[in-house]
Amino acid sequence: MDRLIYTALSGMNASMERQRVIASNMANAQTVGFRAELIDQRPVTIDGETLNVRAMQRAEVRGATMTAGEMVRTGQELDLFIQGDAMMAVQAMDGSEAYTRRADLSISPTGALVNGEGRPVLGDAGPITVPLGARATIAPDGVVSVTDPAAPDQPPVEVGRIKLAGWQGSPISKGLDGLFRVEGGGILPADAEAQVITGALEQSNVKPTEVLVEMIDAQRLFDMRSKLIATARDCDQSGAQLMRLG
Amino acid sequence: MPTSALQVARTGLEAQDSRMRVIANNLANVGTTGFKKDRANFATLAYQDARVAGQRSSGETAYATGLNLGTGVAVQSTSQIVTQGALNTTGNALDLALDGDGYFQVELPGGQLGYTRAGNFTRSGEGQLVTQQGYIVQPAITVPEGASSISVSPDGIVSAMVAGDTEPAELGQLQVASFANPGGLRAIGDNFLVETAASGAAQLGAGGELGRGNIRQGMLEASNVNIVEELVDMIECQRAYEINSKMVSSVDEMLRNANQTL
Repeated sequence: MDRLIYTALSGMNASMERQRVIASNMANAQTVGFRAELIDQRPVTIDGETLNVRAMQRAEVRGATMTAGEMVRTGQELDLFIQGDAMMAVQAMDGSEAYTRRADLSISPTGALVNGEGRPVLGDAGPITVPLGARATIAPDGVVSVTDPAAPDQPPVEVGRIKLAGWQGSPISKGLDGLFRVEGGGILPADAEAQVITGALEQSNVKPTEVLVEMIDAQRLFDMRSKLIATARDCDQSGAQLMRLG
Repeated sequence: MPTSALQVARTGLEAQDSRMRVIANNLANVGTTGFKKDRANFATLAYQDARVAGQRSSGETAYATGLNLGTGVAVQSTSQIVTQGALNTTGNALDLALDGDGYFQVELPGGQLGYTRAGNFTRSGEGQLVTQQGYIVQPAITVPEGASSISVSPDGIVSAMVAGDTEPAELGQLQVASFANPGGLRAIGDNFLVETAASGAAQLGAGGELGRGNIRQGMLEASNVNIVEELVDMIECQRAYEINSKMVSSVDEMLRNANQTL
């Protein structure tokens, strides 16, 4: 019998994988600053003398959709919405510089400025720290200044500037921690033009209707592929019957 | 794995369920004096089946793309939104509100210190300033019997006319506690918060001093829950739950189809 069933099976596997990616995007429809994963499906053909009909399906997550999410006002002083394409530099678990759009900032008990995932925010000169008890405010250009409540008449003191980096021109990809990094290592240069809006957060860029349509699409394709296996079985049966007659 | 899409969708359902609980708690406390609403923070779960972009595919070449399959979402934390609630005038001399940052300090049973924004205090049988539960406000203030015209200044000085005197007597000073990270305080119910490693230690001071709020006598701070906002969040949460449940039925349908056709 033809190996049609294996080709169809690879398609079914790819559909299932795609459904899983869609499920993950759907589940993260409310994660602040989330970037939806893109799945890529491609045929894998084996070159040879035979007729090239057996193109196996292979599905992979190839990157993330980089469109901006909706902005929502939260009124919290340390919530930031990054305008344009820029990304905020944070320190990843391994100490390296990584990028994220998630900017729901807070001050840790040690005075470090961290985002909602607890990653320290990087400035021009490493992680930004705020003296304990001081009140931090962030300007539209990312400059963090603090005022000492003990000296309210003193002007605010600048403690650093959040590194906002443009990624256009440098390939970046999402790592296993959900943070973006420059492919093959390296860091992005700071973008002096980048601006933030305080008191607002960026929603996930997953669009519920889009993701539902994708889900139905993946489901139907899976059904069609399983039907192929059923058809192959029917063909096989008729073949076997023909043999018996002879 | 055929089941994993189901598992991923399940994490979405669970996270929305937790968020709904946070919203329900906010709505339930819309009339609670000094209540601060919570916000649920979502975070992506670990990525799986990993191949990091740039990883070597052979001696000379590297993969141009990564292969990261997300495993879903979880409610990572809830953070307290410490915006000021509206101040409602009650006219009661022992109703105190904080206009600005800070907390009243109260000794909980067992000696632990609790912090609260609810300043609906009363006098105990011994004349001490206590909360509705009878917990003594720290530092303790004793109002002598027969004292009248109790007044509390914005910086916390409590004075009253004591029977027999012509001048008001100073009874003590209320302290306002502030924290490095007030969002890190742990709520223990009954309007009380306790300090944690994340909040840092309490720093006490007079009202209005070092950024602490002024004490307003005869007023109570209302809950900072905005009903309209919560209702919108509730609908958003419900819809997100719905689409995740659609994913469960979609994957179920796929598996059923495979079972029937094959």
